[in-house]
Amino acid sequence: MYRRFYLILLLISGVVLFAFSILAIVKELNPEWKGYQSEYKKIFIDNAEGPEADVLAKQFDIGHKQIYLKRLKRVDRCMNCHAGVENPFMSEAEVPYRRHSGDYLDKHPVAEFGCTVCHDGQGRATNMKEAHGIEFDTHWDRPVLPFTYIESSCAGCHDAEMLKNNGAIKFAAGEKLFREKGCRGCHKLAGEGGVLGKNLDGIGSRPKHYFSLRYVEGDKTAYAWLREHFVDPAKIVPDSGMKVVLNDEEADLLTVYMLTMKSGEIPKEYRRIMNYPERPVTGEALYRMYCIACHTSGEQTIYDEIFGRTIPAIMNPSFLKSINDRLLTEMIKEGRNGTQMTAWKNDAAGLGDDEIQRIVAYITRNRPEAGPEPFGFTKFSADVRAGRELYKVRCAFCHGETGRGGKGFLGIDLANPVIQGADPEFLAVTVRDGRPGTTMVPFGEKGLKLEAREITDVVAYVRTLSMKE
Amino acid sequence: MSEADQSGLGKFIDNIKALRTTLPGSYLRAGKPASDMTKASVMFNNFFLHIQGVRTHIYTLRPGYTLGMGLISLFLLVITVVSGILLTIYYIPSIESAYNSVKDIKYVVFAGNLTRNIHKWAGEGMIIFVILHMARVLYTGSYKKGREFNWVIGIILLAITFMINFTGYLLPWDQLSYWALVIGANIAQSLNELTDIFGLTRYFDIGGLFKELLLGGTVPGEAAIPRVYFFHIMLLPLVMFLFLGAHFWRIRKDGGLTRPDIFELDDETTVLSRPDLLQAETAVFLLTFAVVLIYSIYINAPLKELANPLIPENPARAPWYFLGLQELVSYSAFMGGIGLPALALTGLALIPYLDREPRYVGIWFSNKEGRGVALQSFFVGVIVLTGLLAITVNFGWFRDWWPDVPQLAITMINPGTLWVGFTMAWSLRTIRKTGSTRMGAIALFTMFLLSYVILTYMGTELRGPNWEFYWPHEQWPVY
Repeated sequence: MYRRFYLILLLISGVVLFAFSILAIVKELNPEWKGYQSEYKKIFIDNAEGPEADVLAKQFDIGHKQIYLKRLKRVDRCMNCHAGVENPFMSEAEVPYRRHSGDYLDKHPVAEFGCTVCHDGQGRATNMKEAHGIEFDTHWDRPVLPFTYIESSCAGCHDAEMLKNNGAIKFAAGEKLFREKGCRGCHKLAGEGGVLGKNLDGIGSRPKHYFSLRYVEGDKTAYAWLREHFVDPAKIVPDSGMKVVLNDEEADLLTVYMLTMKSGEIPKEYRRIMNYPERPVTGEALYRMYCIACHTSGEQTIYDEIFGRTIPAIMNPSFLKSINDRLLTEMIKEGRNGTQMTAWKNDAAGLGDDEIQRIVAYITRNRPEAGPEPFGFTKFSADVRAGRELYKVRCAFCHGETGRGGKGFLGIDLANPVIQGADPEFLAVTVRDGRPGTTMVPFGEKGLKLEAREITDVVAYVRTLSMKE
Repeated sequence: MSEADQSGLGKFIDNIKALRTTLPGSYLRAGKPASDMTKASVMFNNFFLHIQGVRTHIYTLRPGYTLGMGLISLFLLVITVVSGILLTIYYIPSIESAYNSVKDIKYVVFAGNLTRNIHKWAGEGMIIFVILHMARVLYTGSYKKGREFNWVIGIILLAITFMINFTGYLLPWDQLSYWALVIGANIAQSLNELTDIFGLTRYFDIGGLFKELLLGGTVPGEAAIPRVYFFHIMLLPLVMFLFLGAHFWRIRKDGGLTRPDIFELDDETTVLSRPDLLQAETAVFLLTFAVVLIYSIYINAPLKELANPLIPENPARAPWYFLGLQELVSYSAFMGGIGLPALALTGLALIPYLDREPRYVGIWFSNKEGRGVALQSFFVGVIVLTGLLAITVNFGWFRDWWPDVPQLAITMINPGTLWVGFTMAWSLRTIRKTGSTRMGAIALFTMFLLSYVILTYMGTELRGPNWEFYWPHEQWPVY
């Protein structure tokens, strides 16, 4: 019974199984790299000059090749396809048969360094797509680096000082951009910098899925994310508050520098760091490094859409006239609670007292000689109630009913501790004279004609604002 | 020439010549099979074959009766074991090397990728075919008349199949493994939900104990891999083979596969197992192997990025065969992870004891009424379960309606428990209406089967980041 049925099933299954077993074996015996190696051998034989090279070419053994680097914990099989990287006769050949460009391999022999230590990519893989690891479905954290960014790998072992003079120009330029665009105003690196943005420690060795790649237009990789988000931060991270926008060229340079931020994964034996980068010393350099991203030149107040508040003009002469160094230092050290201004003291954003002094000196370098005409706050006895009525009519439009300013208001937050803790004389002078370069107009005789007594009342009222909710 | 005349060397050479017949002869014990007697002795003289009868009933050989499900499950197991042994040669169960060794298997071991695919797909195929085998046994009423306990053994084997698959999923130590392990550990810990309600966790943290049993620590890491590896290649296979032996031995003791009572056991209705049965089995084996091979040549087993505790997969997912449970876990960790599966397995195991009607054994769906009940249960079940899920997706559950509701209320009343309650009520109603416990069993099992499929589909295709609902191919937001 059913003998014929099972016999036919057996025969068909047997034949199918046999056929596909053969197919599997054939596939297994002919990996992608074999084609590349035989092509390489052909080109090598053609290009080889002299009897010794001829023999070498003819003896080239087609077979699986790999380099095991114990110290680097890597296995690189790239030379299965890139067979000619160290072959002087392959300088003119096409990729992947071509010799490595430049003289890099003289000092970094493949046998000692492998490939992925500089180029990234998946060293263990033996087919092109997965070895390069760029496409999403290769599921590889560190895709092969495009040549635009390759200089970032040099910094894994070499210092900036050495690289600057030895061809890593992009790296050096990127480092300069980082210093001068004020990135550290928001981003902490090695314990120094603000807290508004992400910490940058180890950003260069983050796997690609650390970044949200959805809006990235190029390859879905970390380097493409970095580059595109320098050009248009809000496109890549929809609620990004990042202010610095770079052009395409600068974006590439800064990406190179970002990719050097690796968590120390290169073993000591491989590193050749001779010089340590000097910390910037001048007040100007420090200002560029930490402040410029938000305060720009410091001469104009800017209403910032993303922050939803006004960023004060800290180098405006009238501002400088009305604030002394002690108060300014205090503001920088402690930050301004409730605003985006970070506390920069040593145990917060990591600046030393002397560095803050230098920044203060830089900011106040153009302070007008003569101080403001004294107001004489103490001469008057203030009436808080009258001040409140006046505030509602005169001030609330810009500073808000509650005095807290914020979103949609041109004025700053008057209830913040720095204003509240400020000398009433200073506040009265500000109300009287206004702040040129900002939206704060003079309310004294030269402006909106408030009497000195009225100004005293308003200042007295403003000083009660923090008591309210 | 008598023996005495022969020189010693001559005897030696004759023995070599005779190897062709003496070796198979000794292997088969009764020499070359020629007569019915010697053909039969092939079966009962062989350790592996004697688990089957000398003669096989023709009803057993009907392809439409068993559909070969149990046999296919066994052959998938054999394929999995052999390919698994090949993989152990290269796999290194340590946190530094596990992922790299799997990569090496994939890229440089000869046919390593193929072997891995075969191991993976044959193993996951077992889940499908074990469940289908179980369905066949239930719908043909083959759990009756002395086979009750073998059905229970079958349930145990199903549970082991799940566990052995899950432990294997964790070994490559890629992102899939890591986050599945995290989910597995949370489910192991979910007894906490119960002890928390009664305030007992402080005194006896049984959930934490289970979690540590799985992980060898409190977080998935170094200790987890060797432990899970030990479960996967030692403990679970050992237990599985023990129960599998008992499973087969009991079939033999119960007189082979079930068949309707109308069939007599005589020379007319039976054939010699060799060659008829062996030929059929070989055919099924070749078919199984061929399909697994073809599937494995063209479809690669997934291998994602290296495990990274800092980058959660969103949604973090268990393997597909547990996504139905994960859907239930999203309502209540304890009920979905432990309560309901335990209840379902117990309920399934009790079926033969609660339905003892001796009629219709060996007939698909028993009779016309049985077909009707199965069909009706199927449609009612699909409508009710889909409705329940649609309500949950659109309107949320207690926590969304009354934020202060005690956890006990959600643990006890959630879409999962409601559904299980409904299936029980439905099968009781069927028993009352038809006056037959057999019909109740068919109704209950039909609902179990369809809920496994629907919930698995829900968890696999319709859930996105943060376990929210998405249509298939709908773009997920990015976090």
